[in-house]
Amino acid sequence: MLNKCIERLYNGIIKENPTFVLILGMCPTLAVTTSAINGIGMGLATTVVLICSNLIISILRNIIPDSVRMPAFIVIVASFVTIVQFLLEAYVPALNDSLGIYIPLIVVNCIILGRAEAYASKNPPLVSTFDGIGMGLGFTIALTLLGAFREILGSGSVFGFKFIPSEFNVTIFVLAPGAFFVLACLVAFKNWTGMKKGKPAIEESCSGCPSCGTCPSSQIDEKKEA
Amino acid sequence: MKELVLIIIGAALVNNVVLSQFLGLCPFLGVSKKLKTSLGMGAAVIFVITVSSFLAGIIFIGILVPLHISYLQTIVFILVIAALVQLVEMILKKYSRPLYSALGVYLPLITTNCAVLGVTLMNVQKEYNLLFSVVNGLGVSVGFTIALLIMAGIREKSEYNENIPVPFRGMPITMVSAGLMAIAFFGFSGLI
Amino acid sequence: MSEKKKMIKNALILFAITLVAGLFLGLVYEVTKIPRANQIAKKQQEAYKTVFQDAQKFSVVDFNAADVAGYLAEKGLSQSMEVIDGVILANDDSGNPLGYVINVTTKEGYAGNIVFSVGIKNDGTVNAISMLSIAETAGLGMKAKEPAFKDQFANKNVDSFAYTKSGAVQENEIDAISGSTITTNAVTNGVNAAIYCFDYLTGGGSVE
Repeated sequence: MLNKCIERLYNGIIKENPTFVLILGMCPTLAVTTSAINGIGMGLATTVVLICSNLIISILRNIIPDSVRMPAFIVIVASFVTIVQFLLEAYVPALNDSLGIYIPLIVVNCIILGRAEAYASKNPPLVSTFDGIGMGLGFTIALTLLGAFREILGSGSVFGFKFIPSEFNVTIFVLAPGAFFVLACLVAFKNWTGMKKGKPAIEESCSGCPSCGTCPSSQIDEKKEA
Repeated sequence: MKELVLIIIGAALVNNVVLSQFLGLCPFLGVSKKLKTSLGMGAAVIFVITVSSFLAGIIFIGILVPLHISYLQTIVFILVIAALVQLVEMILKKYSRPLYSALGVYLPLITTNCAVLGVTLMNVQKEYNLLFSVVNGLGVSVGFTIALLIMAGIREKSEYNENIPVPFRGMPITMVSAGLMAIAFFGFSGLI
Repeated sequence: MSEKKKMIKNALILFAITLVAGLFLGLVYEVTKIPRANQIAKKQQEAYKTVFQDAQKFSVVDFNAADVAGYLAEKGLSQSMEVIDGVILANDDSGNPLGYVINVTTKEGYAGNIVFSVGIKNDGTVNAISMLSIAETAGLGMKAKEPAFKDQFANKNVDSFAYTKSGAVQENEIDAISGSTITTNAVTNGVNAAIYCFDYLTGGGSVE
């Protein structure tokens, strides 16, 4: 049992890292990573929601009928997101301000519904919780890295600690295009190291998505061509 | 009238939903391989976002605010969107076969498109009335479609380009193109 | 079990889950209500203190929101983009009025609304401004929170502010945050709204 839990942590953080390997949850990944601290905040908020929703969905997995599972998952996830929002407002208002609209948007983060569908609805509560912890931490680490990169290049600071004078900052990296460029480079780097080991290149979001089977987007091209 | 035009331009071009707000990235990256499919997706998104901003607006102003439960907005909006998408799918299936075969496959995808939920939440945050909400929804979704179509055009051309370094092929080059598009869209900020 | 029965059962389960979730949310809402209100009140008190260091007592002033909004539009601010949320009278120890604290929300920010307090002394001099809620891009628009930008408004008695990208020369000019003219524009308009509101309340004169 313990081994299984540790395996889930490793899986979430490294083997199937939601951002770098699965390319999931791109919207918050790019939108809030203008600084390392925002990345951590968003990552932890998502982690909390992921752990709670995985736990509850796993407990209810034999009660929720198959045909209404998606709306049921959405209700559960949306409730936890709202609770997290209340808690942030009450105890960490500054973070709540800086993440703004992206907090409620955690509801539609495909990582959470993806894990609910692919893992929590099929596995017992304890391992599902650890799956949530692993995936959440993997997401947090990725967001923090991305945020740190952009903050260093764009504002010359990390966690608000400034060490590069303003004259040498490349503002574009904290702006919207910089988000795309930094992520492109990180994925290309991952491709490059993977290629040496003979792994296939990372494709766009859908191919790595855990809910691929239920999601119709993966079938669009095939259907059209058929 | 002037206000409405400003909202549309602002939502569609200046604050483009994909390129500056980062909403709806999954379909933007996932369904932009071919021009034809992205056109279908764009049409479906325009329809769903416009109608859902209207419905969410009515429910927020008519039910949540009078009952002082506006804190339930996230959960209510996502349910409204999910129900709407289901309903549209059923209606199309029954009454308009050609439209269903054109848009049907994209509809279930839209429930988890964060642009849809994002627009309804933004309308509330900006305290738009019903008319403004619908117009904002229309602007945002048109902006989404514009970005999606341009992206599909670029990808159709770049797919067979042998000059792209191997690690950058596929996902990364798409990201770089999106970044360059985002820079180009900065130019629109002079419009308002 | 027939199809119909199954469907009803499924719908009931979904309804039950939604109901429990809704009730639970209501509970958490009630529990966190006081801490959340406290946070907002605390933030406001701090903001008032920052914009009027000498003031000891703050009292809310009633004003006609519709009239003020009309006056702002008359003054050339685009309609309903700048909203006056509240006006607070700042008093010193012995109850003498020092000026007004005016809370402004501007909807012209790059990433959502910017809410801030503007302290205006009896003679119409802007004393200081303080951000209540701002979510601009870190490293860019967020610089609006830093003294380098904020202090440009302080201790100036002007009809209205304007921002410039080529270095402020005149008394009423503000150096734009480089790369963030949208944020600069939003804050400048917001401060102007507060000044106009002050003019409207005092009829151009001082606080009685």
